[in-house]
Amino acid sequence: MTVHSQGVVTSVPEDAPRKSAGESQTPPPSGSKEVLQRPRGRRGLPTGLLPYLLVAPAVISLVVLLGYPLIRNVILSFQQVNKRELITRKPEWIGVDNYKELLGSSDFWTVVVRSFVFTAVNVLVIMLIGTLIGILLNNLGKKMRLVLSLALVMAWAMPIVASVTVFKWLFDEQFGVANWVMRSLGFAGYEQHNWFETGTSTLVIITVLIAWGSIPFVALNMYAGLTTVGTELYEAARMDGASGWRIFWAVVFPIMKPFFLVTTFLEVIWVFKAFAQVYAMNAGGPDRGSETLPVFAFVEGSGQQHYGMAAAISVLTIVMLIAVMSFYFRLILKQEEEQ
Amino acid sequence: MKRKLIAAIGVAGMMVSVAACGSDSKSGGDTKTDGPKTVTVWVMDGSAPEPWIQAVNKEFEAKHKDVKVDVKIQKWDGIQEKVTTALSEDTPPDVIELGNTQTAGYAATGGLAELTEDKAKLGADGWNKGMLPSAELDGKLYAAPWWAANRVVVYDKKAFKDAGVTPPKTRDEWIAGLEKIKSTSKGKTQPLYLPGQSWYVLAGFIWDEGGDLAVKDGDNWKGTLADPKSIEGMNFYKKLQSYSTAPKDKDEATPQQSTDVVPKGGIASWIGLGWEAGGAIKAIEDAKGKADFGYFPIPGKTADKPGSVFFGGSNLAIAERSKNKDLAKEWLALAAGKDQMAKYAQATEGAALPNHDSAAFKAPAGTFAEAMGQAASVGKLTPITEGWANVETNPNPIKEYMTKVLKGQDPKAAAEAADKEITERINKK
Repeated sequence: MTVHSQGVVTSVPEDAPRKSAGESQTPPPSGSKEVLQRPRGRRGLPTGLLPYLLVAPAVISLVVLLGYPLIRNVILSFQQVNKRELITRKPEWIGVDNYKELLGSSDFWTVVVRSFVFTAVNVLVIMLIGTLIGILLNNLGKKMRLVLSLALVMAWAMPIVASVTVFKWLFDEQFGVANWVMRSLGFAGYEQHNWFETGTSTLVIITVLIAWGSIPFVALNMYAGLTTVGTELYEAARMDGASGWRIFWAVVFPIMKPFFLVTTFLEVIWVFKAFAQVYAMNAGGPDRGSETLPVFAFVEGSGQQHYGMAAAISVLTIVMLIAVMSFYFRLILKQEEEQ
Repeated sequence: MKRKLIAAIGVAGMMVSVAACGSDSKSGGDTKTDGPKTVTVWVMDGSAPEPWIQAVNKEFEAKHKDVKVDVKIQKWDGIQEKVTTALSEDTPPDVIELGNTQTAGYAATGGLAELTEDKAKLGADGWNKGMLPSAELDGKLYAAPWWAANRVVVYDKKAFKDAGVTPPKTRDEWIAGLEKIKSTSKGKTQPLYLPGQSWYVLAGFIWDEGGDLAVKDGDNWKGTLADPKSIEGMNFYKKLQSYSTAPKDKDEATPQQSTDVVPKGGIASWIGLGWEAGGAIKAIEDAKGKADFGYFPIPGKTADKPGSVFFGGSNLAIAERSKNKDLAKEWLALAAGKDQMAKYAQATEGAALPNHDSAAFKAPAGTFAEAMGQAASVGKLTPITEGWANVETNPNPIKEYMTKVLKGQDPKAAAEAADKEITERINKK
């Protein structure tokens, strides 16, 4: 990694230890010679029980809040728990029946394909526009940059359900602003255009919403990253007669590669598991046409009251996501070895 | 660079949280064993007039020192998943209002306390015989009938007068009137606001033709939307819906027709319940407008009988796991008893039929209640079986069927697909 990429992105895990190392001037309690002999690096890090104590709250809360529900979820996926079983609290063990039924149903595979396509399109749109706005931020004057940053932060800070409600009314069939705008612009056929006519059209609106809400994250991080790219690099490139396009791909992109990598994968995770936006927009409709995997699990579980089946769907969702992310983990592990 | 590995694990943790997106919100009432007790009551949006339920609670709290009644108002949309989780908990609400189409389904799960032995205390002798079946399963009582209501056509008197239309008595007159409003208002007024998924209205048309939503077939049930008679009903719905510009893929609650649509004006008539009519009038008056509504029963095929209507209503049940069962029963006996029900009928101005015939409200001419009363004789219930509640869970196959037909699909094929889903769900225990 180059020096410039330090502090790019959400590299909190990289920054934090440096800071603590710098601040703790007092020698560690053990005060072993080995530590003192090392000129830099790990000198200030505590040893013994302390690190484990410090990490304990995070580990415990992860285990309690994520680990335990996950195990319960896996157990649930091997049971038949419908309305009656839930109320009587007598779940019935049915082995892998839930999985068999799911993997054999065409509905499930339709939803899987839809989820992947939806995620790919969203991440592409978000990364592209987010990067462009990030570059724009870097090149704007002080005032305009402030205005744009504020706008971005506000979009990022908007609660999801509130923004979905606003979008629903914007695109409402009878009273929506979108139809009014189209009519005012002179387009025909928008007297009562139903923007949620099909599953695909519904997902397009949701894509607009998710991209709108997620671009600020990419843009602001991109901008933060760009500020660490030394101006002398640009100058040098320009001296050599490089175009803006060339500078981006030859200078900025290589430096910012870790940023692109982490952000893309974060966005993949966020979009893949986006639930509130999709569900609140049209409850997975029309005719279950806009259900992505998390919504499918919710409709089967809470809506249809097949809780065991929903658990099986969510387990399969996790497995799929791990498969996708294994690419990222391999990359990380490879870097680990190299260093 | 172990930190990177840690970061990777953090990312893995984020993925796992995909599984944790379910809803496990806790609900229910306080259950302190000593000291002040609280009886939690869930009522549905629009069911209990505020002054009435406050008076009931006041009377109850006066009788029982140290007991408080906590009333929580719930929305109909997605109510089943809420009730199911509530009933599975250790501290469920003590008294729950259940739709009359859903009570049998919950009785079968064992989540409701059996009330057969409390019949005398609850005053079951005076109950309306038409309402009782929905509160029973296999001869045992699981809830007290509370109220029932059916839909009528609400019309804007001025819009009808302007077009020279009078309330119709038959379907043909109804269509002719709508046609007249359409032509005289030149597209400015919507003759009838009817969203595409108002399936209780469709049920009435299907019953008018002699069809049904589902019938018993041996030991099992099967969906019968594809029956030619049922399709006739849907065809009439489609004809009626063509006079509306309401969305074809929404029901009357999204957006809420009474408060979000009708008050905006330009609607000559719509089909609704008493509390909806009340809500619309209030919304119009809040906006400094003046509502001048008339009411007539949904017209039948011939003038001698109004159109069939779904006899909607609610029962009050007690959760099996309630910690205050005895108190809950007493509250129930009071609230659903004859005296309070007479006041209830007064408070709703007859828009909801009380469970005691003798408590009924004498409806003045020209009111919602009068129109509703005319149709009460042809009220019908959805199939009474524990599996019916499964059919109504979202996404509801009847609603999807209606949208498909209204968008031009072949009714027969769409009905067969819906029947398949209904049959599968209704037989599920």
